This record gives sequence, structure tokens and C-alpha cells, in this order.
Amino acid sequence: MTVIARRLAGHLARGLVMILVVATISFFIVNNIPGDPVAARYEKLVEQGMSPEAAMQATKVLYGFLPSGTMWEQYVDYMSGLLRFDLGVSVTRPGTPVLDVLTDAAKWTVLPVLLGTLLSFLVGVILGVYAAIKRTGKLGDALAISGSLLHGIPQYVLAMLLVVIFATLIPILPADGPVDILFDPGFNAGYIGSLAEHAVLPVATYALSAYGGWVLAMKSSVVTVLGDDFILAAELRGMKRSIIFRYIARNAILPLFTILALSLGLLLGGAVFIEKIFNYPGLGWLLIDSITLRDYALMGGAFLLITVSVIVANIVADLFYTVIDPRVRSGEETR
Amino acid sequence: MKRLAAVVALLGLATMTACSSTDNKSAGGGGSTGGGLFTTIDVNRPGIDASAPANPYNPKGNAFPGYTTMKIGWVVNHLTDPNKALPGMAASWEIAPDNSAITLKLQPNAKWSDGKPVTAEDVKLSIALAYTQGSTAFAVTPGAAGAAAEVTVVDDKTIKITQDPANPSPKFARGVLDTTVLPAHVWSNAVPATIWDTIKTARGDGPDAEKAREEITALGEKVIAFAPPKDVAGGPFVLERVNPGEALLVKNKYFFNAANVAPDQVKFLNYTGNEQIWNYLTQGKLDHSGFVAAPTDVMNRIKAAPGSEVIKGYSPVAVSMAFNQSKKPYDNVHVRRGLAFLIDREQVTKVASPEGGTAATTTTGIHQKAADAWISETLPKLEPYKVDPAKAEEEFKTAGLTKKDGKWTLADGTPWKVSMHAPAGFSDWLSAQENIKSQLIKAGIEAEVVTTADYPVYLEELAAGKYDVGFWLIALGPAPYDIFQRLYGASNGWANVSGKVKHSPAGEAGNWMGSPEQIEVDGAKINPGELTGKLNSVGPDEAKPIMSQLAMAANQDLPVIQLWDYINNQFVNNSRFTGWPHDDEVLRLGTGVLPSGVWIQQGLVKKKQ
Repeated sequence: MTVIARRLAGHLARGLVMILVVATISFFIVNNIPGDPVAARYEKLVEQGMSPEAAMQATKVLYGFLPSGTMWEQYVDYMSGLLRFDLGVSVTRPGTPVLDVLTDAAKWTVLPVLLGTLLSFLVGVILGVYAAIKRTGKLGDALAISGSLLHGIPQYVLAMLLVVIFATLIPILPADGPVDILFDPGFNAGYIGSLAEHAVLPVATYALSAYGGWVLAMKSSVVTVLGDDFILAAELRGMKRSIIFRYIARNAILPLFTILALSLGLLLGGAVFIEKIFNYPGLGWLLIDSITLRDYALMGGAFLLITVSVIVANIVADLFYTVIDPRVRSGEETR
Repeated sequence: MKRLAAVVALLGLATMTACSSTDNKSAGGGGSTGGGLFTTIDVNRPGIDASAPANPYNPKGNAFPGYTTMKIGWVVNHLTDPNKALPGMAASWEIAPDNSAITLKLQPNAKWSDGKPVTAEDVKLSIALAYTQGSTAFAVTPGAAGAAAEVTVVDDKTIKITQDPANPSPKFARGVLDTTVLPAHVWSNAVPATIWDTIKTARGDGPDAEKAREEITALGEKVIAFAPPKDVAGGPFVLERVNPGEALLVKNKYFFNAANVAPDQVKFLNYTGNEQIWNYLTQGKLDHSGFVAAPTDVMNRIKAAPGSEVIKGYSPVAVSMAFNQSKKPYDNVHVRRGLAFLIDREQVTKVASPEGGTAATTTTGIHQKAADAWISETLPKLEPYKVDPAKAEEEFKTAGLTKKDGKWTLADGTPWKVSMHAPAGFSDWLSAQENIKSQLIKAGIEAEVVTTADYPVYLEELAAGKYDVGFWLIALGPAPYDIFQRLYGASNGWANVSGKVKHSPAGEAGNWMGSPEQIEVDGAKINPGELTGKLNSVGPDEAKPIMSQLAMAANQDLPVIQLWDYINNQFVNNSRFTGWPHDDEVLRLGTGVLPSGVWIQQGLVKKKQ
């Protein structure tokens, strides 16, 4: 068995156990969240002008979807459903499997967050190297300060700033959802352009808020590597600067790859505020919606999906490290 | 560097594409022509869900009452007549003088968006669907007030519905008219062909009836989840497509009044909170929006948007400060009265809801406008509870409270703290409570405002009797029973099951208000819950004296202090469309109905020339 296969098998086994534990914990948390959704629904219907009797009956029909039985019976049902990828029935979206609702929402989270994260990683890493090399100059200072500033601003504040500037004061970019409905969906310039236009501000928010972290982390990593003996040896040997630069980058970037993989794991759960601000119907928004409406099945499903993605990201990060760092690989082989 | 340059070039290209899309919008997807594009939101349902079916019974369904889905009639916001309505799928109707039946005449030219005619069979199937969902008129609950007994198709365009004489209700016609009409050729798949047999059995007694009722409930779940292959609409528009951010409706050329429908397309925008609606309104993006609460500065910005107008009208809702009478000292009517004399409702309303409310003139349990219409002769007899600290002090002393070092304490000498609860996000309620708190503190009463996580938690804890004082919506008209059951209904111990009123003691069966079962009003002992129950079966003439008694009971016993009566605010923009109605009655139209859809289909809204 190769090193990677052995590690993968171990990770998968541990991951499965963790998923079961998390599913159990989230089931009990979700089902013990305080609040009476039936009363809230009834009140809303009555406020809208429905007579009390009709509201009572309508609420009864809607909440007939809720699972019944003791908590233990519900738990057993939930876990056995989970084995068949059946996450239950959504009260707010009856008839649509929870998994379908989550999958629909996930695409509106994954693409912008992925794009923003990768963009910030790319720019942050490159500028981080420059900030380290030029750390005694003005450029280095400017990059470090910009990194610290952006790293310090909470993501949702940055999002609101962008909305105020680009959607309200200088209204050149939309902040009202993922695409303009007037364009026929499909592979046409108008639709794709509208998708891109609507994605600019959310992606920019993700990218700008993560950029600072990458710059600072990369700068710090490069500075550490710069002090290593092999760099001194390379310089003494008179190696080309570009080759030395590659040595530095390859060694300094290793810890950042781990952070990147873990960040990607948080893709699904890290966008709650941003999706609300930009009206993006992704998983974060769905999570808020399901909590507000006490849609237990949807809530549980969303929590589970976020957890699974973090666990999978951890596994990928570890395996990836095995691949890109020969020291880890050889260390395993010599055991 | 080459790689960096390539990345920069790609980003530039993406930005160019993005910016160019704005210019090509109309070319890309059939932008508006002729009558133009009407933009709005559904304030009742945040979050458009692209995967939801075009089903009006589905909580996230992409059905838009007034735009795509039609009701038999559009019940209006009348002060006293719950049965008044505008024509919908029915062009006219006749209510029997004894309220025993209603005969509907359908629009002669009504067609579905697929060109098929609308017939009485469509209405009959729609009534069967309504039975599965719970409806005032179409209920299988034994003894339900105002339930229908027979549904008879008279001819292709006429249908007669008779009321069950067992427990008749004055709002029977309202229940019938407020029914959604759906195409039988699409929706007949949602229920079995034997549905009417099941309904008939379910309306009876015994085990078979019980089994049939269970079947109906199970069918209800099926109907809620039913997904028509495509939208077949009866309204002026039909659903073209939905994406996760917006819904697009296009004009239904078969709509019976299509010639007078101004817009060609309607765009429903998505939103996740009030802030987005405020942004849309300040940017002048919406042609119409229902009311959303907004702070004064936001409201001023909305009003300042070009073409913006706020139409104000009657809203049969009031907000009150409700007491849990199981908790001391609120079990003592003098304490409640003292507080009523102390709290300046004008000030509270000015702070909490300057645009959306009018300070209550006194506590009656009815919105002031409806009270003027129903019980004008009783109103002068009521205590107005004008601000009067001396009277408040007198009431507190009568209740046994004492004032030490400028602070009021309970009869046993322990400190008195008025603890008020409101759910997070209810900004007007929270502002009101903060204002009341400062007023009370000024008068020597300790007070605090406690925010609850959200509305479901608030309702759960309120019902469990955990709060001393909370805010509670009352006066939910227009039907007299609906108005008073907020004060003397289940939350105060009186459950009305099949016309029989039963009282549960405080702390049981959801009775968190805990008023006494009987009180003395005008020298006579009354049971407010039973009187309220009567309102569900009597006509307007009999209702009036009962309403007077109940208003007097509420006024002297103060289970709540009525703080302000809501105002119906509708946001419209005159830049693209005009002709907005300013008539109180048509600013609110039935359960979940989008009023602008009804205004458009009635031909009121015109394209701006």
C-alpha cells in the first residue's frame, strides 16, 4: 500500500466517524432550538388577514410534514435516512428533497467564494513575497499596511462599504442577487455578462477580506525562509536570483497551502453575512432562512453539509501536503 | 511577471464583459416593450426560491396572488363589512338575504394562460383543494363556523355554495370569495377523483368521518407539494421564469381584462431583509412595495427618491402592551390602569412608529377607525387614559404599592421592575419599549427591556407565561370575532371549538394573559370569551352591542394597553406608472394578496405617458 493510499484510508475512516458524531450532535442541537414555528406561522397568517380558524387549519396541514414520534425514534429515522442520502422533508419547501435544496444553494456559494479565495490567494502570495523581499522599503511597508488594514476589517463591514460605494453612491455595480432575470438563461453573452456583473462585488469582498491574511502570512513565511542556510548557500554559490526566488517561494508557500485547503473547506459555511448583504441565495442565506423559519430538516442538512466539507477539506489538505512536500512523504516511507 | 500580466489581463476582460452586459440587457432577454416593465417585491415572502413550484399553497411557491393566481373575489379592507370584495374570477355574486348561500357568476371571458376557458368545474376543484388546506368556508372540522354544506355547479359559469346551518357565520361569503381558483385540467392530478366523496364523509360524525378527515389532511400535504409542469395562470400575468434572485412574469394575453393591463412584464425582486427593500426604494427601483418598517432617516430618503410616494390608509391592526395577570402586580387592575395613565402613547408612537402608526386614543381592542364605525356611541363613555401622573399615583396606591425614596415598591416592600419583552428585529416594538422604559423610570418605576432571539422564541416563551409584559398585536379585523379573539381568545384562556367556548385557567392551554373568566361591566357580570364567541355567528346588528360591551370590558379591565393603531403604508413610484389608488379599502386585499397585482388587473395602474 502506498503512503497516500494508507493515509487516505485512515482519514476516510476517521472522517466517517466524525461525520456520524457531528450528524448526531447537530440533530440534537437543531431539534432542541427554542421557538415555536407553528405559532409563528399562525401569527403571520392571522396578521395577513386570515381568519383564526383557517390559519389554524393551514398551519396544521403545513406542519403535518414535521416528523413525529419520540426524539429517539426521530433520531433513528434521521440516521437511517442519512445512509440513503435522505436528509428529510423541508417544511418551507415541501415536496423538494432537502438535498436538492442544498445543492441548488451550494452552487451560488461555492463559485463566488472559490473565485474570491483563489484570487486573494494568488494576489496575496505574490505580493507577500514582494513585501518580504522589499520589507525595508516603502513598497514593503505599503503592502504590509494594506494587508493589516484589510485583514482587520470584518468581512461584512467591507461588503457594506462596497455596496455603499459601488451600488449606492456610484451605482455602477449591482448588489441585488446573482443575475438579472431579464436575460434568457443559457450560454449567451448577456446572461453570462449579467452573472459576472452581479458576482463582482461579492467576489471582491471575499478576495479583499482574505487578501490581507495571505499577504501577511506569505510575508512572514518568506522572511523565515530567507534566514535559512540553504538560501545563504545558494547566494554564495552565485545562483541566479530567479532560481533563488523559486527556492524561497516553494518553501514559503507550503504552510499557506494547508491554510488554503482549510479555507476551501469553509467555503460552504463562511458566507452567511455576505450572501445576506448581496442577496445571494447560497448556503449561508439558506441557513439563516431555515433558522428563522425553524425548518429543522433544512437546518440539519445545511449544518451537515458544512461540516462534511470541512472534514473533506482537512483530508484533502493532509493528502495534498503529502504530495507537495517530499519531506512528509519520505518521513512516512522511512517509518 | 508574465503570469501576473496574464491574470491581470483576464481580470480586465471579465470586468469588461461585466460592464458591457449592462448595455446589452434588453437585447439579451427580451427587455420591456410597449407597456414596460413593472418592478415589485412580495413583502409577505422574503426569498424567491427558484426550485419552488408554481403552487399558491406551497410556502415558497412561485405563485403571485393578484398577478398570476386569481381568487374568486378580492376581499377588501372594509371597516365593518367583511364580505365586501372586488370582482376576481367571479364577475359578480349574490349573497342570500339570510346569508345561507352565495351564487357566483364567473367572468364570461375568463381564460387560463393556455387558452382554455375558466369554468365552474375549475372553481369546484379549487374548492376541493381549499378543503385540503384549511379555509374558513371550506373546513371539514365538525361544527366549524361559517363552513359550506353544498357546492353545486349550476351551469358552466355559475356555481352555488350553501352554508351549513349548524354554525353559520356572518363572514361565510368572505371565506368563499377569498378562495384561490386553479385550473382543473392541471390540478386534478393533485387530488383523487373521489375527493368529494371523502369531503362529504369527513363532514359527518363517527369513525369513518374521522378517517376521512385524516385522508384530507394527508391530501393537504400532497397538494402543498404539488408541482404543476408549468404555470397555467388565470391572472393578468404568467410566470415566465424564476432564478434564485428574481422572478419574471409576462402578460397573459388570454386574461379577460388584458386590454387594460398596463405593464408587459413584471419583475419580482428578491430580498433577505428590510435593508434591501429600503435600498430598492431609495434607488427608485420599485414601482410598488407593501409596507416595511423603516427608521425616520431611511423613510426620508425613500420619500426623497424621484417619483416616490407613500400612500397611507387603514390597516386593521393595533399594537398593545399585554400583561401576564398571573404575575404580580399585574393581577391588580389598578396597577394596569396606573400604567395606562402614566404612559404617554403619543410620545411612544412618535418615537417607535411615526409613519406607520397613530397613537391609540384609548384601549378598546379595536382600531380607532373601526371603533368609530362600529361603536361610535360607546366611545365617549370610555376612559381615555390621558397622561395623568396624579391619577397613576392614586391607582398605584389603591393597588397597595408604595413609593419610597422616589421609587415604587410592591405591597410587600420588594422593588417593582417592569420587565418588557420583544423579539429582536422588531425595531418599532423595541423602540417603543425603550421609550416606555424611560417614561417609567422618570416616574420612579424600575423598568427593563429584554430582547428575545426571534419571533418563534418570543411566541413560545410568551405562551409559556415566562414574561411579565410583552407586546401583542390586536384588533385584527375586519370581522368582529377576529378583532376580539385577540383579547378574549386562546391566549386569554377561551378556546372556541366548533362554536363551543371553553375556558382554561391561567397558565394552561396557552392562557398566558390570565384575565378573570367573568368581569363586571356597567353593573352586569359578563364572560368576555363567550361574548367574543358569539360574534362568530351573529350579524352586524347583533354584533354592535356585544362589541360595545367588549370594548368597555377591555377599557376598564385593561388586559392590554392599546398603544398605537397601525397605518397601511404602500410605497409607490410615479416615474414609470401612475394611477395608484388612494382608497383605504383597496390597500389591503385578502390573505397574502399582492395589492398592486389587483390594481393592475382592475386597470387602475397606467403607464406614465
